Amino acid sequence: MNEQTSSAYDAHDFRQLILAGAGCLEANVDAINALNVFPVPDGDTGINMLLTLRAATSAEVPDAASATVGSMSSAIARGALLGARGNSGVIFSQFMKGLAGGLAECERADGAAFATALQAAADAGYQAVGNPVEGTMLSVMRAAAEAVYPSSRPAEAPDVLRAAYEAAERALAYTPEQLPVLKQAGVVDAGGQGVVAFLAGMVNLVSEEQIVLRITAPEGGLESAAANVSHEFLEHTEEEMYGYCTQFVVQGEGLDPDAVRERVMAMAASTVVVGDDRVVRVHAHAEDPGPLLSMGAALGALDQINIQNMDLQHQEFMSLHGYGEEPAGEAEPAAVAVIPVAPGDGIARVFRSLGAAATVSGGQTMNPSAADIIAVVQRTNAAFTIVLPNNKNIVLAAEQAAELADAPIAVVPSRNVAQGMAAMLAFNPDLGGDENAETMRSALDSVRSGEVTTAVRSTTIDGVDVLEGQAIAILDGALAAAAATPGAALAAMLESAGPEEGALVTLFYGAGLSEEAAQEAADAISGRFTGIEVEVHEGGQPHYHYLVSIE
Amino acid sequence: MAVKVVTDSASDIPAELAGELGISVVPCTVFFGAEAFKDGVEITKEEFFHRLTTGNVMPTTTQPSVGDFLDVYKPLAEAGHDIVSVHVSGKLSGTVNSARLAAQELPDATVETVDTELASMGVALAAKAAADAASAGADAAGAAEAARNAAASTEVFVVPDTLEYLKRGGRIGGAQALLGSLLSMKPILKLMDGEVHPHEKVRTKGKAVQRMREIAASGGPYREAAVMHWVSDEEANSMVEHLAQFTASAVVSGSIGASIGAHAGPGVIGFALWKGE
Repeated sequence: MNEQTSSAYDAHDFRQLILAGAGCLEANVDAINALNVFPVPDGDTGINMLLTLRAATSAEVPDAASATVGSMSSAIARGALLGARGNSGVIFSQFMKGLAGGLAECERADGAAFATALQAAADAGYQAVGNPVEGTMLSVMRAAAEAVYPSSRPAEAPDVLRAAYEAAERALAYTPEQLPVLKQAGVVDAGGQGVVAFLAGMVNLVSEEQIVLRITAPEGGLESAAANVSHEFLEHTEEEMYGYCTQFVVQGEGLDPDAVRERVMAMAASTVVVGDDRVVRVHAHAEDPGPLLSMGAALGALDQINIQNMDLQHQEFMSLHGYGEEPAGEAEPAAVAVIPVAPGDGIARVFRSLGAAATVSGGQTMNPSAADIIAVVQRTNAAFTIVLPNNKNIVLAAEQAAELADAPIAVVPSRNVAQGMAAMLAFNPDLGGDENAETMRSALDSVRSGEVTTAVRSTTIDGVDVLEGQAIAILDGALAAAAATPGAALAAMLESAGPEEGALVTLFYGAGLSEEAAQEAADAISGRFTGIEVEVHEGGQPHYHYLVSIE
Repeated sequence: MAVKVVTDSASDIPAELAGELGISVVPCTVFFGAEAFKDGVEITKEEFFHRLTTGNVMPTTTQPSVGDFLDVYKPLAEAGHDIVSVHVSGKLSGTVNSARLAAQELPDATVETVDTELASMGVALAAKAAADAASAGADAAGAAEAARNAAASTEVFVVPDTLEYLKRGGRIGGAQALLGSLLSMKPILKLMDGEVHPHEKVRTKGKAVQRMREIAASGGPYREAAVMHWVSDEEANSMVEHLAQFTASAVVSGSIGASIGAHAGPGVIGFALWKGE
């Protein structure tokens, strides 16, 4: 950055600041992922925020010569809005939009401009959610904004950024006092930590005194969170759907993750490089995985090598989801199309059999972006589209898609697959879009939903003692049971659900289970509870042994 | 000389009610393989469902022949009666066609045929409307008009235990879309424009019956209401008592015969609701 203008940044400087924030977030992405409350494999706050920022910084930027901070920030915000994934990503994208709004008239940005813009950014974050909750990233954003609220005393931009960062860090430390679930889990808010990392990255670019983040993940959490950046997610949702998805770990001494990242980025796309001086994990999409591996081998010992041909996978994915079978003009686009988000192929098939026009691949640990959702909406080309997010962490991205898309979209906020199925059943192709959305909304609470997964760490939540590696069952969002096997956790969950006579339990078994195992679990339940019916379907979802609907 | 009402066995009209109102019932024919039975005449409802659930031959049905109609029409016409013939939807069965052809065979008689675009008790309520109009002094045209008006204001809902029978019988209409579902369902079906349409997709019998009760409660009051079923008396009576809250008339109730039963299957419950005071 040019010395003479250190306190008033131009468009290029501004982009460098955002890139620096993104870089710091990336360096801490695993630690942020690990800050999850439930011991379930949903640690994806870090990756969601990072991918949102990636979309922001890879958006088409205005011509360098004529760009102002206003036009640059607006281009970046647009990219963030479209690329937003997960609730944290959506809120963060709104923060970026607010920031851009605050800087709209600026040719260059000085300390006062940043102070004003941060206020607009925090306000926009609050507006992104219907019921703002304190103790989340919102509190952290607001603390940062208030600390630098424009005062009579003019401040240099680096000082403004540092003051914002310091206030954010303090607010973050306070989040467990505001949200009991965080305290119970012994973590600070993950989204708030993401904001802190983003601000720290910007500060480090413009000041001598470097901030070193210390993120304390719950015990055992870091490893499992790192393992949970789903391959499928990265392969199916990123733009560069070509070549080989190459992942490996380098173990050695004196490694420099930043230097590795730079070298990988020069060779491949969609890079994620994280680690420390002893272990570096690399994820990248390359035409040829060879040079990447050679580079890694030169640095240390290679481990956990995983290479997949995405061209083949892409074709399979597209045909599986019906994109390949474009009917030549015969099929009229439906007046009203329903597009559910499906976390597995089996679940996608069931939704399609119930009349879904298409599905968006995604779910826990693989939240689709607003742009992903819009792309499928555009492909189905209906006059009106109803989106079923089927995951509480995808609801906001779906609503953002509805706002950004040209065509009318209604979001029926299904928080899980069971609710999504109930809503899908209420769909009537003979009715109009709004009428359907309304009846589908009222169907959401007609079912109870359950999930069985594996605990990624030991903890006590909702009065249940959980050991890492145990199967745990969640009923309507609360931890219901922990047991040695998925089948036992399932049975214990149903015990606490107390299904009525005549109840129907539908099991969608996950990618890691065989049909026989699922059938055995179903038979065990049928034997234990009299008068209930159990139906078994292949779900194909990752991480979750069972997704369950009880009605 | 009076106006006499004729219907077909797909109306599921209870024998006592038909007798009381002087309504003649022309039977459809049910086949179990090569064995043919006239519905309600050569095979009782009980015998039919026993064979349906225990036998390994799926039944098929055919509309009454022109001859079957003439067997009923001729004696009535010869006794000097005018005839109003009220029938199951022409989109589900050729019955009303046979009736029209039979009428043409009797150029000197007055025969008014009515396509109710309904089935089961919906047809029965329309036939009852015609009989009531006739006994109140209406001529054939007036009684036929009464049947048509009743049919136009009557809705028929049904919950089959399985869609299997509708599918095999090809009478599935708009409910065809339900067959692709990978999930099991107990859908609520409605007769619309003479065809079977999915009204609501529900997954358990308990919920389906609950929704049926809500549908009945939300559409009242009713001039007449009727329950048709092949379920336990307890379940059927509970629905009859429920419907009784919304109508001043006695609720008609009866089991489903072979003509409808071959397509709806065992475990079915439904009702016909004639809207109005």
